[in-house]
Amino acid sequence: MFSIQTFLDSFEPLLWAARYTLLVSGLGIALGLVIGALICAAGLSRWPAARRFAAIWVSFLRGVPLLVQLLLMYYLLPVIGINVPAIAAAVITVGICASAYISEIWRGAIGALPRGQAEAAVAIGMGPRDVWGRIILPQAVVMSLPALVNELILLVKASSLVSVVGILEVTRASQAQAAMTFRPLEVYIAAACIYLAINLCLAGLGRYLEHRMAV
Amino acid sequence: MVQASSVEIRKLDKFYGPFQALKGIDLTIPPGKVTCLIGPSGSGKSTLLRCMNFLEEYDAGEVRIDGQMIGYDSPGGSRMPARKLRDMRRSIGMVFQQFNLWPHMTALQNVAEGLVRVRGFSKDQAAARAAEALEKVGLSDKVANHPARLSGGQQQRVAIARAIAMEPRLMLFDEPTSALDPELVGEVLNVMKTLAAEGMTMVVVTHEMGFAAHVADQVAIMEAGELVAVDAPTRILHSPEDARIKAFLKTYHERNAF
Repeated sequence: MFSIQTFLDSFEPLLWAARYTLLVSGLGIALGLVIGALICAAGLSRWPAARRFAAIWVSFLRGVPLLVQLLLMYYLLPVIGINVPAIAAAVITVGICASAYISEIWRGAIGALPRGQAEAAVAIGMGPRDVWGRIILPQAVVMSLPALVNELILLVKASSLVSVVGILEVTRASQAQAAMTFRPLEVYIAAACIYLAINLCLAGLGRYLEHRMAV
Repeated sequence: MVQASSVEIRKLDKFYGPFQALKGIDLTIPPGKVTCLIGPSGSGKSTLLRCMNFLEEYDAGEVRIDGQMIGYDSPGGSRMPARKLRDMRRSIGMVFQQFNLWPHMTALQNVAEGLVRVRGFSKDQAAARAAEALEKVGLSDKVANHPARLSGGQQQRVAIARAIAMEPRLMLFDEPTSALDPELVGEVLNVMKTLAAEGMTMVVVTHEMGFAAHVADQVAIMEAGELVAVDAPTRILHSPEDARIKAFLKTYHERNAF
């Protein structure tokens, strides 16, 4: 028998834990956007060493599961003498993992622009700063929005993995709650509702931005 | 009358890997005149045009605008400083086959952008100059439209306005009407005729033989990376001597006969 009361009662501890889900995925994506932009720039650089570095960065971070990356980061940092709280290790790992995907999203968007867009700017005498800042990036950012929102949503869901380093986010909290109440169905449905609500907001934000920035 | 540049091209070579796209081209573009480059596709006419503002890097020989070599310090020398190249490009307008308008900007912004970024105009000055340029190409009522809301012919006229607003002394046209529906070709050619009448130096890669015959002062025919002939349009188009020109004109006449 489905217990409405247990279902509703689950929300309090789970919403409390949702702070960590939002913190890890929010800071993670912010870090991912910054590092992703740098890696993308390195990948498009005229220096072969920078391009090689970007290629290795992307293929390593895409090739190793986030779960393994989290455990590596968590156990590796103390070994090399860096003691950071679990939450920091989680944010950094999620951020650099996301950077690999985000840099590829941007590289793809930039590559998809017709060559003539930049040529028209170069032909009237614009320098690289204006060509990138006024012509290429404004268009590439808009083109990359759907893929970025997609990545953001994947990241919110992937943040459940940071429970392995002891962070009490929604998934971990619902496991505890389910064990305590012996009512896993109600608790996990509540957890699903929370993830769904967060991601519907993100998708809505994405659609709003796409509409506002439409070219 | 606008100030008009001349272009001197000497022994110009361009390679794509082992393929030689331009083979020792010698061509003089006189100031204030219209030169049409014609020839079959793949003959190198667009490549030659793109060497004139160094969008295409040439491998040997020289291209001089008003005596000043573009792209390199000296024949066979090192690349000219980027800053200097940008300064030279400021006075060379270019119009592309695919228009290459910036889709995230309105017609007015497309024209004003270069004035602000390259010429250092204030936003207001640039908008006023851009509006003038758009009026000149007959698009005063479309200043607020984004390119997606313009016909091909209108887009190409915005592209021409974008180039002439910069007050170029030389205009390069790379097949400006090839991507247009036939009924839209005329409006673009008319704008080009007006420019020609003002004494702009123009180099036009085109398949529009009518335009070449009536507007060009000289016609250069290219084939397989070589310049086959350079002469007045009447002589080249009406009484060609070279067999290759005859063959090219023949395919052209056959295509247009109905």
